[in-house]
Amino acid sequence: MFNRPIKEINAEFLAEDKYLDSIQRTVEESCVAAGMKRSDIASVLVAIEEGASNIIRHAYLYEKGTIRLRIVIYKKMIVFSLIDFGRSFQPDEVDSLDLDRLVESGRKGGLGLYMIRKIMDSVEMISAAGRNELRMTKRIHPRSTDSVPLLARMSSLRVKFSFWTFLIVLVIVGGSYYYIDRQTSKRLYQHLDDTVLSLANTIAEQAGGYIINRRSDAEFDELIVSYLHSNAEFMRLVVLTDSNDNIIAHSEDIRYIRNKYQIPVHIDTTLIGKPQRFTYKNEHLRYVIVPIKAGDATVGKVHVAYSTASIKGQFTQARKKTAALTAVLILFGILGIYLLSNYFVSPIEKITRRVRRFASGDVSSELPLEGAEEFFEISRAFNELTARVSQDRENIVAREKMAKEIEVASQIQKTLMPHRLPDIPGLDVEAFYQAASVVSGDLYDIFQIDETHYCLTVADVSGKGVPASLVMSMLRTVVQIQSQQTKSSRDTLIRVYDYLQSNIPAGMFITIMLAIYDTSEHHLNFVSAGHNPMIYFHANKGEIVKLNPAGMPMGLPDSFSGSFESRLEEMDLTLHRGDFFLMFTDGITEARNRDGEQYGIDRLIAFMEKRLHYSANLTATGLSEQLIAELGDFSPLSGPADDITFILARVVDDTT
Amino acid sequence: MENITISLFESGKDDISEVRVDGVIDTTTSGELESVIDSLLKRQRYGIIIDLAGVDYISSAGWGIFISRIKEVRSNNGDIKLANMVPNVFEIYELLEFDKVLRAYNSVDDARRDFHASAET
Repeated sequence: MFNRPIKEINAEFLAEDKYLDSIQRTVEESCVAAGMKRSDIASVLVAIEEGASNIIRHAYLYEKGTIRLRIVIYKKMIVFSLIDFGRSFQPDEVDSLDLDRLVESGRKGGLGLYMIRKIMDSVEMISAAGRNELRMTKRIHPRSTDSVPLLARMSSLRVKFSFWTFLIVLVIVGGSYYYIDRQTSKRLYQHLDDTVLSLANTIAEQAGGYIINRRSDAEFDELIVSYLHSNAEFMRLVVLTDSNDNIIAHSEDIRYIRNKYQIPVHIDTTLIGKPQRFTYKNEHLRYVIVPIKAGDATVGKVHVAYSTASIKGQFTQARKKTAALTAVLILFGILGIYLLSNYFVSPIEKITRRVRRFASGDVSSELPLEGAEEFFEISRAFNELTARVSQDRENIVAREKMAKEIEVASQIQKTLMPHRLPDIPGLDVEAFYQAASVVSGDLYDIFQIDETHYCLTVADVSGKGVPASLVMSMLRTVVQIQSQQTKSSRDTLIRVYDYLQSNIPAGMFITIMLAIYDTSEHHLNFVSAGHNPMIYFHANKGEIVKLNPAGMPMGLPDSFSGSFESRLEEMDLTLHRGDFFLMFTDGITEARNRDGEQYGIDRLIAFMEKRLHYSANLTATGLSEQLIAELGDFSPLSGPADDITFILARVVDDTT
Repeated sequence: MENITISLFESGKDDISEVRVDGVIDTTTSGELESVIDSLLKRQRYGIIIDLAGVDYISSAGWGIFISRIKEVRSNNGDIKLANMVPNVFEIYELLEFDKVLRAYNSVDDARRDFHASAET
């Protein structure tokens, strides 16, 4: 196999139709646990029923047997084995199955195997050493309905979380970038403006000196041209004017000198020392005016036009740095998001995976208690839940085990009671048996020993379940065998005791009343091993007595029971027409009414006295029906707390 | 054990018998359905509609009843038509390729119409 098994389930069932349900339930649980698709489970159940009922019908031919079920779950498949120890199938018949042939034949045989083949992905039949295994493999197609979307939901939680945090980081970082960018540009423009302004002031200062010293036009021209040239990267135009706005020097053309300076449109001459926007020769420029002073008097103006283009270069460089920084920040942001999403989402994912495993049947493993307070709480709550579920499941298993045991015990018990009472000449006998639960500890038996002797026994085994049933079964057999050896009830019971004493499990004991009736002499010889007394109605005297021969229960420890034989007394009765005797177990005397009162032997005697005095022709059947009704009236609702068992006999004939 | 209820509606008009099954058709219950169908065949009523609306499980013992008798029924110009299968049963019907042998209908009326249609041709 290409995978290790995840889980193996073994179970054993009796090969009977009524256990098919249990087999299917076991299979269904495993399929659910393995995460199989609903519809696949339905078909697998059909195949399993075919396999199991084939075993019951063909391998065991409805005889007793067992079916072993082994289920091995792998990750991607599940292997079902049905194992029996009956007749083996013929594998070559199986290979040639096809539907048309089945229809053509008009028979049903083989349809089950055809169905198994169709449903399962592979089918093998292995027969060796009286053991047949039908091994069926089914691939697992996972349930699409619950598992996948859950996973999708989980990952989308991570995606959503990452998306929103990323968006927030982006806004913050983008905002900072924009702010820094603006600041940089402002700073660069300011710097240029300041530079130009100070240059213009320097020119104005020098020009002021030139005016005072009445320098030549050429010298003025040289002054401005030299400044223009040394700052050529941004300076475009320098014009000096006198107080009447006549040109003193013009950087463009020397011939403009002494002409009136045409102040460009949009330029406000009153704004001194403030940069203004200016378009010149299709170039966006800035324009600044500073006054030329001679002493305190303004003698002219310096007009400077300059370009901001040079800033762009520096600006791009600064921007590159900012962008690099931003990129690094975003990268750190993404890393942070990843770590955060792990921190928040993975505990949820872990819990979810565990919950899914739980849903598919794994109730044993626990979640590690870790993570933030809330996750810790969830994990702990979940662990408590799984613990409880797993406890419940164990309880169910225990209960099913017990139910199975009760089932087995009651099966054994059914074989214990006599199917039919023998007709005993001269006696009208009625036996009644009612179990408090499915399994009882009571036993009665009536059988013929020889032509003239019959044995009647009533016994009560302490304890319930399979062990008690087995002891009862043993007791019944031993009584039947030992009674063949002697006509004395005392000898019979001593022999029974000798045999049983070493075979009774410790702590279990038996009380028994054993009577042997001799039909030829209407003689009843009986013993009691710690059992309830016999109630005897003497018809001629019209009186009822308790007859309680001494005796100890069987199964007591040896120190007590060393004296079993010596303490065992027998009693003899010669019976006459109309006499009644009743052998019973403590279920009658210990029946309780609603007030918790026991029925008791005195009530029983009083009841029988009353009935027997007032109706002379009462049959055993009639009296026992009345007794049952009486007990029902006494404890009407509760039902019998203990098993009720009795043998009631009436003497009908003593004329031999 | 599971129970099964079978109701039989025989129409004198068109010789079509409608068998309504409720419960589970498995090893333990299939005998009852089998005897109902055999009693129809004995009386030469070969037009049979099985209404499976109330059946949520059919084992091979159940399918076997239909598969083993379809040949006899068809050779007498009849048919066994299955109607109202629940999804679980229908999936198995398809998986086992019984759709090649037995016809399925969404309702008893559909099945009945199909009987009438084939009777006319």
